[in-house]
Amino acid sequence: MLPPDQRLFEADLQFAEYRNGVAKGLWGQVVGDALPEGTVWPSVYFWMAAAPRTGAPDRYYVALNLSGYRSVPPTGPFWDPVTKQRLDFAKWPKGKKDSRFATVFRTEGFSAQGKAFYHPYDRAPVSDHPQWKTEQPHLVWTSSHTIVDYLEEFQSLLMSGDYLGI
Amino acid sequence: MENVAIEHFHHRQGGKPTVVSAAPADTLREVLIRLGPLEEGIFVFVGECDYALKESADVEDGADEHEPVDIDLTLEVLEIVRHRHVHVHKCRHIGVEVNFNGKPKRHKFSPNATVGVATDWARKKFRVDPALAAEYVLQLCHSTVQPRSDEHLGDLVKGEACSLGFDLVKEVTPKG
Repeated sequence: MLPPDQRLFEADLQFAEYRNGVAKGLWGQVVGDALPEGTVWPSVYFWMAAAPRTGAPDRYYVALNLSGYRSVPPTGPFWDPVTKQRLDFAKWPKGKKDSRFATVFRTEGFSAQGKAFYHPYDRAPVSDHPQWKTEQPHLVWTSSHTIVDYLEEFQSLLMSGDYLGI
Repeated sequence: MENVAIEHFHHRQGGKPTVVSAAPADTLREVLIRLGPLEEGIFVFVGECDYALKESADVEDGADEHEPVDIDLTLEVLEIVRHRHVHVHKCRHIGVEVNFNGKPKRHKFSPNATVGVATDWARKKFRVDPALAAEYVLQLCHSTVQPRSDEHLGDLVKGEACSLGFDLVKEVTPKG
C-alpha cells in the first residue's frame, strides 16, 4: 500500500484543476524513462510551460521532494531532463532586475540557493523566514494547498512579462 | 467523430470543478441529469469567457456577451472537446467590483470567466503600467485570499450571491 502522502498526491493528480492545466499544456508530470534511474517517492518531477523568449526553452522542469504532502510544502530546484541533474544556474530563467520573478528564482543569497525557490511555497526557505507567515499570509502553505497551487504559482511567473529568458 | 468519451470539467456555483466523461452523442441535458437534479432557471455555459479583454478601456460598467447554450444539443455539436468546461449556474452574470487607489471599476462577467481574465481586465481598466502589471493581483475584499488565476469566477461565489468584490493589490515580494 502507498504511504498516505503519496496516496494524497496521486489523488490530487486526478482533480479537475490539475487535469485542466495538463489539457491546456501548462504543466505535466515527468514519467517513465525520462526520470532519473531509481526515482522513488517522494521524488517527483514536473515541467511547467514558459512564455516564448529568444534562445530559451518553452518549458522548465522542477525536481520536487513531496515528503509529507500536503501537510508539508514541496521543495526543489529547476532540473535538467538531459543530464538528469539539477539545472545549471546559467540555464535558470532570468527576470527583470529587482522584480518578484528575479527574487523568487534567485540563485544566491539564501541558505537553500540552487536547491529551492525563494518563496513561501517552498519548505526550505520558509524555515529561515518565519516572518513570511505574517508578511504573506495568503501564500502560507497549508494542508488545503495542492500541487496545483504550487504549479500555478510558478508557471504564472514563467508566463509573466518579468520573465526575460535565460 | 469517434465515439470516444469526452473528458471535460464540470463547474457548479461555489464548488470545486469535477472531471466528467461522456459520449460525444450524449446531450448536455443527459450528462447534467446523470450528475444530479437539474434545477429550474439555471444557466449553462461552455468554455471559458474572455470577452472582457476585448472591451475598450474606456467602457464603464460593461457586461460579457456570452450566451448560455441549449443543453439539448450533443457534446459533439457543442464542441465540448474543444471548450472543455461546462458551467451550471444560477447567475447569468457575476457582478465584479474591483477597487484600486480608492476607485472602483465594475464589470458583469460570465460565470465561466477566470480570475486571470478579471485580473487582466482590471490592470487594463486602471491603466496599470504594463511594465509593472505582472505584480498586481486580485485579492478578495476583507480577506487575504488571492484566488489562483485559473479559478473561475462562478466557482468563487457563495450561496445565492451573484457578485464578488476584489482589491487590486501589489503582490508581496519575498524578502529577508
